[in-house]
Amino acid sequence: MSAVARTLSVAGWQADAYRRVWRGSLTVSFLNPIFFLVSIGVLLGTLVDRSDPDLGGLSYLEFVAPGLVAVTAMQTAASVTTFPVKAGLKWLRTYHAVVATPVKVRELVAGVLVWAGARVIVACCLFVLVAAIGGAFTSPLAALAPLAGLLCGLAFAAGLAAVSSGTDSDQWLVAIFRFVLVPLFLFSGTFFPIEQLPDWIQPLAWATPLWHGVALSRDLATGELDGLLDTVHVVYLVVFTVVGAAITVRACEVRLRR
Amino acid sequence: MIEARSLTKRYDDFTAVDGIDFTVERGETFGFLGPNGAGKSSTMRMIGAVSPASGGTLRVLGRDPEHDGSAIRQRLGVVPQEDNLDLELDVGQNLLVYGRFFGLPRDEIRRRTAELLDFVQLADRKDARVDSLSGGMKRRLTIARALVNTPELLLLDEPTTGLDPQARHALWDRLYRLKQQGVTLVLTTHYMDEAEQLCDRLVIMDRAKIVAEGSPRSLIDRFVEREVVELRFGAQNGLPPLDDLGSHVEVLQDRIVIGADDGDGVVDQVHARGLHPETVLVRRSTLEDVFLRLTGRSLND
Repeated sequence: MSAVARTLSVAGWQADAYRRVWRGSLTVSFLNPIFFLVSIGVLLGTLVDRSDPDLGGLSYLEFVAPGLVAVTAMQTAASVTTFPVKAGLKWLRTYHAVVATPVKVRELVAGVLVWAGARVIVACCLFVLVAAIGGAFTSPLAALAPLAGLLCGLAFAAGLAAVSSGTDSDQWLVAIFRFVLVPLFLFSGTFFPIEQLPDWIQPLAWATPLWHGVALSRDLATGELDGLLDTVHVVYLVVFTVVGAAITVRACEVRLRR
Repeated sequence: MIEARSLTKRYDDFTAVDGIDFTVERGETFGFLGPNGAGKSSTMRMIGAVSPASGGTLRVLGRDPEHDGSAIRQRLGVVPQEDNLDLELDVGQNLLVYGRFFGLPRDEIRRRTAELLDFVQLADRKDARVDSLSGGMKRRLTIARALVNTPELLLLDEPTTGLDPQARHALWDRLYRLKQQGVTLVLTTHYMDEAEQLCDRLVIMDRAKIVAEGSPRSLIDRFVEREVVELRFGAQNGLPPLDDLGSHVEVLQDRIVIGADDGDGVVDQVHARGLHPETVLVRRSTLEDVFLRLTGRSLND
């Protein structure tokens, strides 16, 4: 049995478990993004558009929708690799059962991330479909925006899995949601260009995976690709994912193979 | 099946397993008997190739767990001390998912699932949520799960701890059947009756070391007398001198334990001295007495 097959067996396990609870995930992965799109993109957007803001020739809806692809990716990823990872390691100890089989720790982590990626891509595709019907995109390349979402989602999945597996207290996750994910959501260029932020804060935005995901998704959705900058976005998100995954594997080794 | 030489496990500055040697042969049921904290579970985790040894050598199924962990685990069944079934899945799905970790095709797992649920007497619970099962049923499901890959070697860490007597006997019965089918069983326990019932051979562990090894019968023959007299004198100051009775006298907190080949003879002598213990019990010696003799402590202290 190959490493790939073992990795996929883990992703398959996650899918089986998800089949029981998928309805509950619709809020985070489907309804919330649509609610944001309608309330902020469409309704608040009509007010914003009256002041004729400088959004690179985009309507506010067209500006916000690609950002929400990346936000959807982030929130879906967070629902897969935060509390469920803690449960597998500590509360239900199901990860301990997995590593007693031929599955290796790194295959377990890879399988969980593959599953997170699958959840992210489905959520992003659904969102893009609805947003496209609502006329939120200006370029056919928007169909590729879920790929930007996938890279962004994997970066968050890996980073949050690293936090979930590397910390003892559950309070860390609560703190991450409150003090990291929510501010990122508000300030990473989804709802306004980060050039609006004070100059000294902008580099902070550049350091976050969400900003790179939002920027890449927006370039695709508007069809205005920038070769160099978009390469930077892709490389950043891939490196973030790889580093996060490596830390997760290390932390899980410590917990599962003492 | 398993060969360990000077096997050692250290956690930081704590030594959980201190240079133990043992060998497990194909088809036998081998036990690690000892109190909590003796190093049994650490040893099991090393055999199960989920915990690297800190020293010594270990071969499991002819391979080195350090380098061939995945290949070893492919041929093992593991029943951990704490149940770690997936509560989000039903009974049948738990087996299906687990079988896939071993690379088994779905059809084969389905066939095995029917057989195994039958074997552990859970056939009518296939679609039940794991949450709804009793403690004994969860244990039996964990055993079924451990058998899904038809393992050559089944590791059971404290298989009946926390179960009521009826559930324990039901579980012993299943394990006994596995043993008859030729599966090699390795188990840890701190119940001497469990070790006596199931094990062909066992080692007694105490404080990270093996203190004795043999069949339950041979350990009893070697280390203790045939019978034991237990006397309880109730609350009183100063115990009567009994050291010259029997071959070995142990004064415990709550009772006096006298090893003797003729228990009734000892009781007669106690009475002849005009002593009237509150309770008198004459019984055959057990592994508990072996443990007491070797370590000066009782197993469940």
